[in-house]
Amino acid sequence: MQGYGDAGGELAQLQSTMHAIEAACSSIQMHINPAAAEAAILALSQSPQPYKACQFILENSQVANARFQAAGAIRDAAIREWSFLSAEDRRNLVNFCICFALQHANSPEGYVQAKVSSVAAQLIKRGWLDFSTGEKEPFFYQINQAILGTHGLDVQFIGISILESLVSEFSPSTSSAMGLPREFHEQCRRSLELDYLKVFYCWARGAALSVTSKILDSDLAAPEVKVCTAAMRLMLQILTWEFQYNRKGTKSINHFSAGVRHDNALTNRTDCILVQPGLAWHDVLISSGDTVWLSNLYAALRQKFSPQSSWIDSPIAVSARKLLVQFCSVTGTIFPSDSGQSQEQYLVRLLSGIILWVEPSDAISKEIESGKSGSEMLDGCRALLAMATVTTPAAFDRLLKSIRPYGTLTLLSTLMGEVIKVLISQNSEEETWSWEARDILLDTWTALLMHSLQPLHITGGGISLPPEGAVAAANLFALIVDSELKAASASAYNDDSDSDYIHASISAMDERLSSYALIARAAIDVTVPLLTRLFTERVSRLHQGRGIVDPTETLEELYSLLLITGHVLADEGEGETPLVPDAIQRNFGDFLEADKHPVVLLSGSIIKFAEHSLDPDLRASFFSPRLMEAVIWFLSRWSPTYLMSLEETHDRNDDSLLSRGHQLPQNSRKTVANYFSEYSYGKFVLGTIVRVSIITFTSYPGENYLQGMTCYQLLHALVRQKNICVHLVALESWRELANAFAHEKMLFMLNASHQRSLAQTLVLSASGLGNSEAANQYVKDLMGHMTKYLVELSSRNDIRSISQQPDIILSITCSLERLRGAARASEPRMQKSIYEMGLSVLNAILVLLEVYKHESSVVYVLLKFVVAWVDAQITYLEAKETAAVVDFCMRLLQLYSSHNIGKISLSLSNSLLSDAKTEKYKDLRALLQLLSALCLKDLVDLSSDPVESEGTNISQVVFFGLHIVTPLISLELLKYPKLCHDYFSLLSHMLEVYPEMVGQLNNDAFSHVVETLSFGLHHQDSEVVNMCLKALRALASYHCKETAAGKVGLGSRASDPRNPSGGTENRIFSRFLQSLLQLLLFGDYSPDLVGAAADALFPMILCEQSLYQKLGNELIERQANPEFRLRLTNAFQALTSLNQLTCTLDRMNYQRFRKNLSNFLIEVRGFLRTK
Amino acid sequence: MSDEEHHFESKGDAGASKTYPQQAGAIRKNGYIVIKNRPCKVVEVSTSKTGKHGHAKCHFVGIDIFNGKKLEDIVPSSHNCDVPHVTRTDYQLIDISEDGFVSLLTENGNTKDDLRLPTDDNLLSQIKDGFGDGKDLVVTVMSSMGEEQICALKDIGPK
Repeated sequence: MQGYGDAGGELAQLQSTMHAIEAACSSIQMHINPAAAEAAILALSQSPQPYKACQFILENSQVANARFQAAGAIRDAAIREWSFLSAEDRRNLVNFCICFALQHANSPEGYVQAKVSSVAAQLIKRGWLDFSTGEKEPFFYQINQAILGTHGLDVQFIGISILESLVSEFSPSTSSAMGLPREFHEQCRRSLELDYLKVFYCWARGAALSVTSKILDSDLAAPEVKVCTAAMRLMLQILTWEFQYNRKGTKSINHFSAGVRHDNALTNRTDCILVQPGLAWHDVLISSGDTVWLSNLYAALRQKFSPQSSWIDSPIAVSARKLLVQFCSVTGTIFPSDSGQSQEQYLVRLLSGIILWVEPSDAISKEIESGKSGSEMLDGCRALLAMATVTTPAAFDRLLKSIRPYGTLTLLSTLMGEVIKVLISQNSEEETWSWEARDILLDTWTALLMHSLQPLHITGGGISLPPEGAVAAANLFALIVDSELKAASASAYNDDSDSDYIHASISAMDERLSSYALIARAAIDVTVPLLTRLFTERVSRLHQGRGIVDPTETLEELYSLLLITGHVLADEGEGETPLVPDAIQRNFGDFLEADKHPVVLLSGSIIKFAEHSLDPDLRASFFSPRLMEAVIWFLSRWSPTYLMSLEETHDRNDDSLLSRGHQLPQNSRKTVANYFSEYSYGKFVLGTIVRVSIITFTSYPGENYLQGMTCYQLLHALVRQKNICVHLVALESWRELANAFAHEKMLFMLNASHQRSLAQTLVLSASGLGNSEAANQYVKDLMGHMTKYLVELSSRNDIRSISQQPDIILSITCSLERLRGAARASEPRMQKSIYEMGLSVLNAILVLLEVYKHESSVVYVLLKFVVAWVDAQITYLEAKETAAVVDFCMRLLQLYSSHNIGKISLSLSNSLLSDAKTEKYKDLRALLQLLSALCLKDLVDLSSDPVESEGTNISQVVFFGLHIVTPLISLELLKYPKLCHDYFSLLSHMLEVYPEMVGQLNNDAFSHVVETLSFGLHHQDSEVVNMCLKALRALASYHCKETAAGKVGLGSRASDPRNPSGGTENRIFSRFLQSLLQLLLFGDYSPDLVGAAADALFPMILCEQSLYQKLGNELIERQANPEFRLRLTNAFQALTSLNQLTCTLDRMNYQRFRKNLSNFLIEVRGFLRTK
Repeated sequence: MSDEEHHFESKGDAGASKTYPQQAGAIRKNGYIVIKNRPCKVVEVSTSKTGKHGHAKCHFVGIDIFNGKKLEDIVPSSHNCDVPHVTRTDYQLIDISEDGFVSLLTENGNTKDDLRLPTDDNLLSQIKDGFGDGKDLVVTVMSSMGEEQICALKDIGPK
């Protein structure tokens, strides 16, 4: 490696290589024949042992790019040839890189030095397990010497940057590929974390300390600043390391998917990553006083340089602040278990420095508004967020008290108030610092208040904020509402082009509104009366100004208030019945008189306002569609929590008797709930809600969004509760709605899918009727008109000619959607009438399917109705009814298939063609759902006689159905994830439950099944893979058991007796054994699949033992490394012999094999898969 | 369907029986609509408001079912739109003549010889190839607002 140039010839050759590379580099820069230039550079890195030439170039070339490429060539060649290099060569290469980087530290082309440092780091890592500690020592000695600063600042800087590269190489998410097993990377990471990381940290700190005094005596351009910044960057990098080995037990590596870092939900929301290095770091991070040093350093720099405006965003300031924020996130076992005391002291020390960044907040925000950079202030907010994340609210509040007369919560509230003031005054669309600050601070509140909620589940009590904190929260909430109202009235006239914003506003603002609600609930006793006052003020302003003043601004303010109030008063149920928020339950203990209860007052004033919309004049003046949306939204958010809440009527505690009619409230929750219970104002409120809903249908024509909200959110939520249904069906207004739905033209004007939803809601409400007869009669009255219409229409002679008229299409679509909605509402009580409803239109459906075969939108609605109806009814049907339904379904499938098979759509428009494809996909999905619904009959059967009594065999029917549908499904269509999912779940269900059917399939059908399974096995959706594995398990175990019992099993499908060794492609299990092994050993898949894969693999191995042996041997022979070969052999051995595995397919063996396979994969995937 | 010479009807009598009024809010994606006097299939519907507290209006993007061109329209959602009467009829393909016409067999046994082949090469070759292969082809002819065109082919087995 050394001493080149003893022969003139060699020197000449080195020089010519150098010139060639230099020429190539300059021609790339000037874009002359770049392909040839790249080839020349590639040739260098691919030539054997190019080290001498590369070193020569590095040391002699004047062209920086050539030096850069030479360094890269060393890296590529060394990684490739590493195993052939002698120990000495390896050491020399590393040494050369380190020395070169350090010796040329003052070179002006920094990127070459950085590249060489990174090559050094990669080579050190490559040899990490080969080098003994003694061999590594000299490298680190050199680096340490450099970092100590004895050779000057440039060298010091390069020393630090080598370590930076090293740390990043050892961290799995940032490491470079080396073609080595994952195990290797993991071992390196572990070794660095346990043995070196802390040392590096200390070195970096030492470097930073060594230059501190100089920096304070000079200016920002001083070379020391660069060193200090680099050192702090390294410290930060080390603190963001994903510490894994700090706890007692070590964590095993994830063998199954690539090393992607998954941040957990907590860090996802904020960018606050917790630092948990463990007890070993206590001396370095906590007791060393680093934090004090850094705080002081920053404070001193700040004082010295603050006149320069650029200082805040200078690299050294940014790094110092980032590091300080990172210090705030330190938590976990690094602190002794003294109930958080030492952590609190630690944070106080940090806070005493950081407070200057955010206080006095008014002065700071003024400075920022007049041009100062906001980054210091934002970092201050981030530090508060970090502290809030690692402490409890009480501890958080205490932090500041030791240095200020008030607590941290007050600071937080003042700070946020200031930010919100700025936000109001700006009122601009761009995202400015105040937006960002508001989001960070809201996250801080959320972190704190979510903390305070957590113990609730454990203690049942819950801790609230300290009193001072509650006051701070109340003040802040008042400011927030004020700012939101100002923003609302200011934007009232924005005729915004992005109309989506309005419709999306609730969901888009939801996160922010939830944070507001958390803050409001922290001081609920103040905030609810505030909201009531603001709301009534706005309402009376409307009335006073009626006809005189344009109400738009007030409308927008009311809109905003309704959204905020809804979030404060009630939680999103997400399908479950939400409880009255804990804060409201706890804080209004004194209000025993219901009509003075603040929550009752607030709810009452809003309901009363909603009632105004019933008056045509008031409606015309005030209730714009947008305001109605907010009203409906509020009612649908509020009613599941408060209206006739079940908790009240069937109280699980002691007073279930008392609650009947008597009001003996024991606490606030009951006061509110009683007030709106079915025995008090509940019925009245329910009536109002229904009447307001009708108004949205009748008086807001074409307002789809509003009507959709009424259908899907409000009415659905009401009929979900049985006790509300009881009152609904008794209401005059509800009867009006049902009557209008059944007989009047008006509701046919609603969007068809809204009509479906309305039908479902109306039918569901029948469950509130006393008995089954009444419920069935109700459904008949409701739907009879629709079925009669369809039957009459389909039997008309001129159906063909009139059917294409748009008005007929519309009314047929709407009627079918209504039937579909009704079918979806099937409940045992109404089952009979819904069955009869469907039965009466079956013939009509076949007629319509024929008539509308070209009108895909009608076909789809027809199919969807049948699916919904069969799905809801099949389990209840008696054998004879089942036979009729099955027969109908088969006729439907055949008819659909005869219309569509071999059909090609022609159109000039690609978009219409792709629409046609999507329509086809939706149809097929519906047909698959229909078949799945039929399968249900074999699983759940509530009828009195078995289906077979009428000669119906569900499995045959479904296989026949699949046979009809399958030719319509192309691989192209399987790209639709939902269709794919449905298809595979049906197929795997059929194969699992009826494996014997596979033996009876004809060749085409069989090979289709095999191809499909093979496609599914390699699908990226693990759910699909799982379903295929289940199917394979079922088939293989069926075959195994049958052949063991001397039967044929799957017969020639599984093995060809005439030609046992040849043609594996025709034998199902040999084919899948190969591909499954390939997948398990080399593929990328979710670890959840291993169990299912084991279950499929085990019976397949038993079916194809000799092939399995052969495959195993091939794999072992392919291993070049003798150690790996031995490990693989042993692993294969263990796979089939460990845990007393035997050859019978029983539960125990499946379990044993699962365990064995999991161990096997952990053992071998570490070296079989490479990175 | 009678006047084979005219691809467009004169604007005067394009209303009445050829189109039907329907509330804009009730028109869904995949339905039909008349935009700029052309029958279109709706590929996109979005709604917005006229001013924050105004009424909803529907924004339709339609594709002309005959020439594939994209057309757009904005209508207040409570107003009526014209919806075209679109019919599709199946015929058996008897012959393709040299001069660019097809000969079709109607349900009652007559022939229909007034329909031109599409001019687009791609569509043309799909029809011609199928016919040339000796397959028995059924063509679906779509007609609306006085215009007609072959919109689908179906192979019903060898001749």
